[in-house]
Amino acid sequence: MRAVRAIAANTFREAIRDRILYLFIGFAVVMVVSSKLFGMLTVGDETKIIKDIGLASMQFFSMLIAVMMSMILVSREVDSRTVFNILAKPVRRWQFILGKYLGLVLIVAANLVLITFVLMLTVLVVAGELDLMLLFAGAMTMLEMLVLAAFATFFAVLTRPILGSLMTLAVFVVGHMSADLWLLTRQLPGALTRAVIAVVYYLLPNLERFNFRTEVVHDLAIPGATVGWAVLYAFAFVIVVLFLANLRFRGKDLK
Amino acid sequence: MTDIQLSVRDLQKTFYPGLFEASIEVLKGLSFEVARGEIFGFLGPNGAGKTTTIKAITEIISPDAGEITVCGLPHTSLEAKKRIGFMSESPYIYRHLTGREYLRFSGELLGLERSGLADRISGVLDQVGMAGRADRTMGTYSKGMLQRVALGQALLGEPELLILDEPMSGLDPVGRRDVRDIILNQAAAGVTVFFSTHIIPDVEMICDRVAIIVDGRVQAIGAVSELVSEEPTSYEATFVGVVPSDLRAPLEAHHVASGASWVRVTTENHDRLIQELGDRGAKVISLEPVRMTLEDLLMRHYEESGS
Repeated sequence: MRAVRAIAANTFREAIRDRILYLFIGFAVVMVVSSKLFGMLTVGDETKIIKDIGLASMQFFSMLIAVMMSMILVSREVDSRTVFNILAKPVRRWQFILGKYLGLVLIVAANLVLITFVLMLTVLVVAGELDLMLLFAGAMTMLEMLVLAAFATFFAVLTRPILGSLMTLAVFVVGHMSADLWLLTRQLPGALTRAVIAVVYYLLPNLERFNFRTEVVHDLAIPGATVGWAVLYAFAFVIVVLFLANLRFRGKDLK
Repeated sequence: MTDIQLSVRDLQKTFYPGLFEASIEVLKGLSFEVARGEIFGFLGPNGAGKTTTIKAITEIISPDAGEITVCGLPHTSLEAKKRIGFMSESPYIYRHLTGREYLRFSGELLGLERSGLADRISGVLDQVGMAGRADRTMGTYSKGMLQRVALGQALLGEPELLILDEPMSGLDPVGRRDVRDIILNQAAAGVTVFFSTHIIPDVEMICDRVAIIVDGRVQAIGAVSELVSEEPTSYEATFVGVVPSDLRAPLEAHHVASGASWVRVTTENHDRLIQELGDRGAKVISLEPVRMTLEDLLMRHYEESGS
């Protein structure tokens, strides 16, 4: 595991020394803080609007960071051939994949911790309320990002960086439309079309399973079982997708 | 313990660039062995398959067929990889790390003990002449400095087999001499050194044995002195008083400049030429034997292969 840890730490170090990360984090923080402005301009409970926009920003910028940094950090390693010196050492290819993935997860986690803290502080200042459920929402977003980062890692070893980014983005979009896909499999004419959509539905993760924004914003009850299943669901996807990434990378000739 | 540190048998590799592009057969049954403590040069023109062979040994690519063993172990085993120190063709490095951080990262990948790692890194930095510049990020390094750090990470694990891909390419004379000295020191310490190059003087200067690879096959292998005969292959003569066209001895090449004639004859025609020049009263200015160089040998194999 020392090699995995070393690769993860190097990935994290590379990211935090990259200016582009701070650009994303900066935007995210500005969005969360400016949610106060939206709250003032919109009819309704200002605190709820701040939470809603803040959580949406948290999810969106975490997704951007996961997608962009995975492409930058994994593809760069292969394209710049620094991976040669890693793989020539007593390091297995799965250790490289796992190390890169964990490094990426660390980056996203650090970003999420920061944004969650800023959002909690904003809510505290505006409403005088310390909402610990925002921590829960942050944790659920992290689960979603675990899945998305696994897909991003998979696409990074599968294809070129730009195409990989677009494919990960597609997973994010389609993953939040799973319910609609399910409806399509019931209502579309043509068995073949329905079958194709059903395959997409089952292959891609339902990212709405990690979306507890409504419950957190409106203080609704969250069943423990739903959370438990979401955790299991995330880890199952992470394991399968990383396994596929390793399968692809294991047989890959690096040029 | 085997005396063969690196064995490559019948290595084959074909690349398939794309759907509508022709496949490229890079290695066509390549075989050679490197003994313990040798400095082994892997010489060939660009595109001969040198880097592909090294990538196969270091598991960066998978060969289609063939067998590779390192210190008697399959090259894919972690035990074998622990014994290898590898430096790639160009110094592929992390621009965001300092030289020292890069070596620490390499040490962690090698599984070196944390306790002595800092001292080991300092020792290697001294060895490659980078001690004074180790705390600058590598993005600011010159190519020679990158090459030194890359060599440092290859030496860090105290390898039994040092694999260097074009270690001197792009270096200035001082850098080349330094790398050469490091290779010689390693060999003196019992390390086996396998390095690829297309720079012939490097091979002639430091290699115990050399393999000439052209078009994916080993065309010749042995000590430089074995491959390149001490016997002359032809003679070159410069003289005045007679023009080449008057000579009856078969000439390989000739020309006349500033009143002096220059001719080249095969060793078989050497005596005949001398006799004829004497008979015609020519004044011989010089008569030099021409021996086959490694470059001649490489060119001969290159031309024969039709590459």
